[in-house]
Amino acid sequence: MSDDSVGADSVRSRSSLGDDSGLIAERIRVTTDGTLLIDDVDCTVARGSLSALVGPNGAGKSTLLRALTAVQTPAAGSVTFGSHDLLGMPRRQRARLAAFVEQDATTDTSLTVGMVVALGRLPHQSLWEADSPESAAIIAASLETVDMTAFREREFQSLSGGEKQRVMLARALAQQPQLLALDEPTNHLDIAAQLAVLELLSSLRSTGVTVLAALHDLSLAASYCDHIIVLSHGRVVAAGATETVLTEQLIADVYGVTASILRNPVTGKPVIGFSPA
Amino acid sequence: MAKVSPLALGSALAIALLVSITVAVTIGPADIRFDEVWRSIGSHLGIGVSPLSELRDGIVWQLRLPRVLTAAAVGAGLALSGAVMQAITRNPLADPYLLGLSSGAALGAVSVLLLGAAVLLPLAAFVGALLALTLTLLLAGSLGAITPSRTVLAGIAVSALASAITSFVIFWSVTGDSYREVLSWLLGSLSGARWPAVGITMVAIIVIGIPVMLTGRLLDSFAFGDVQAASLGVNVSATRWGLLAASALVTGAMVSVSGSIGFVGLILPHAVRLLVGPGHRALLPLSALLGAVFLVWADTLARTLFDPREIPVGIVTAMIGAPIFAFLLTRRKSST
Repeated sequence: MSDDSVGADSVRSRSSLGDDSGLIAERIRVTTDGTLLIDDVDCTVARGSLSALVGPNGAGKSTLLRALTAVQTPAAGSVTFGSHDLLGMPRRQRARLAAFVEQDATTDTSLTVGMVVALGRLPHQSLWEADSPESAAIIAASLETVDMTAFREREFQSLSGGEKQRVMLARALAQQPQLLALDEPTNHLDIAAQLAVLELLSSLRSTGVTVLAALHDLSLAASYCDHIIVLSHGRVVAAGATETVLTEQLIADVYGVTASILRNPVTGKPVIGFSPA
Repeated sequence: MAKVSPLALGSALAIALLVSITVAVTIGPADIRFDEVWRSIGSHLGIGVSPLSELRDGIVWQLRLPRVLTAAAVGAGLALSGAVMQAITRNPLADPYLLGLSSGAALGAVSVLLLGAAVLLPLAAFVGALLALTLTLLLAGSLGAITPSRTVLAGIAVSALASAITSFVIFWSVTGDSYREVLSWLLGSLSGARWPAVGITMVAIIVIGIPVMLTGRLLDSFAFGDVQAASLGVNVSATRWGLLAASALVTGAMVSVSGSIGFVGLILPHAVRLLVGPGHRALLPLSALLGAVFLVWADTLARTLFDPREIPVGIVTAMIGAPIFAFLLTRRKSST
């Protein structure tokens, strides 16, 4: 699928979509200190899907995710989610609609797990309001979803990488978002923790949350995600259903390696083997 | 880790502050009793109590009480500014002096002292602090996007420049009597604090400090940096620069009456964090309260330790603060 056809698709489909349309980004352009990082990107993420954003290092995955959630305002372009204009809407309202989990979140503070998750309630509360019982229930439920309830009083800094990632996911869930963007949520995690995070993300589909995750591991992306957006040099080079997009030819073109797409004999899901080009 | 309830600590500190203020007024070369402190205050507030003799009333009302109240306000303001700056620069070693404020204030103060216009000292110190902050921010901005670390580095550069000019001015023109006055101001002293100083510092606390104390939740959102704060719906740059400007105004007001008193803004927020945890909704008001109690006692030590000579309170806070600062440094090293 070529760059142009993706753009045309999203433009054409937009007029016919109602309020349940997913994330639609058009002509996104991001520059930082004079360097063009994202160059006229159009992309869509279907409502309620789990989608992966993949691409080599420096392709602009983090930058695009930030632009799509308006954490970093793009220089040009529009981003809508359903009937909401993500770039134009008030910040707090946007934070109730879209959550962003950054890569390797670190803190110098001694915040407990419970306090970190409580940060997710910020867009729902006024500054000096006490925590409402409703908020407390949502915080507890978010911790339960990521299976970290027992860690509530532990210091965030004392946790392992996988535990931290689950806490940050709970924090994002406490925002009660309809759109969740995650930057490399499996980075630095061991295999079990990587699978745990992706199992969690795919279970969110049943709650109607639209999830877009930047992923390095193409096998993980291929086996868990409904759709894939492939980014290279700040441009979308392919996008669509995982099976059709992620071909050996595309991986060779984008990553400059030889890829063999195999089948996992246990799960039947795709596994990708690599060798130098 | 078992933490103290913020409400319990707040109540204890509020009582401790009232008691400390009363006790501190009784301490000094002339013996004043507790009841005399309250009788003096009562009679000046027009509550029907029998007034003290003119001399004793003068000691309480004209000398000691305004000085003790100024100490409380300055301590509260510096500790509050320190807590805010540590949060928004994500630098646990930050304090009001980090951004060049203190050196700028010192330059302003020394300049007017030597021009023989000591009445203008508070104003000059205040203007000096704000100019230094502006210069720091301009310099940080000229390096690209204004980040906490660039701001801190710019603050160091501005500080060095202001200190150099101050030293030059002193070296060039200070003689005899004015030397002691300049030095005592540079080291931080409350010996000249009278009711106008109480007015300046209390207005700063009430008008700027109290609204700042209500921003705890916003500061919490900075725990993981700007990106997360932004993703939580916080207007990062408006919050950062608004709070930085507010801290600068508070610090400027405090420095204008007290000179540069170091370490209060640095260590007291850490003490409160150890007791109640890192949440800023409790941390900000409790830091202010603890700062007030701390400086009341530091100043009492400063004026009584080597009686009849008085030492600048900045020496006392540095003697207490420097070892704690060193301890924080080593702890930080082991945690990273």
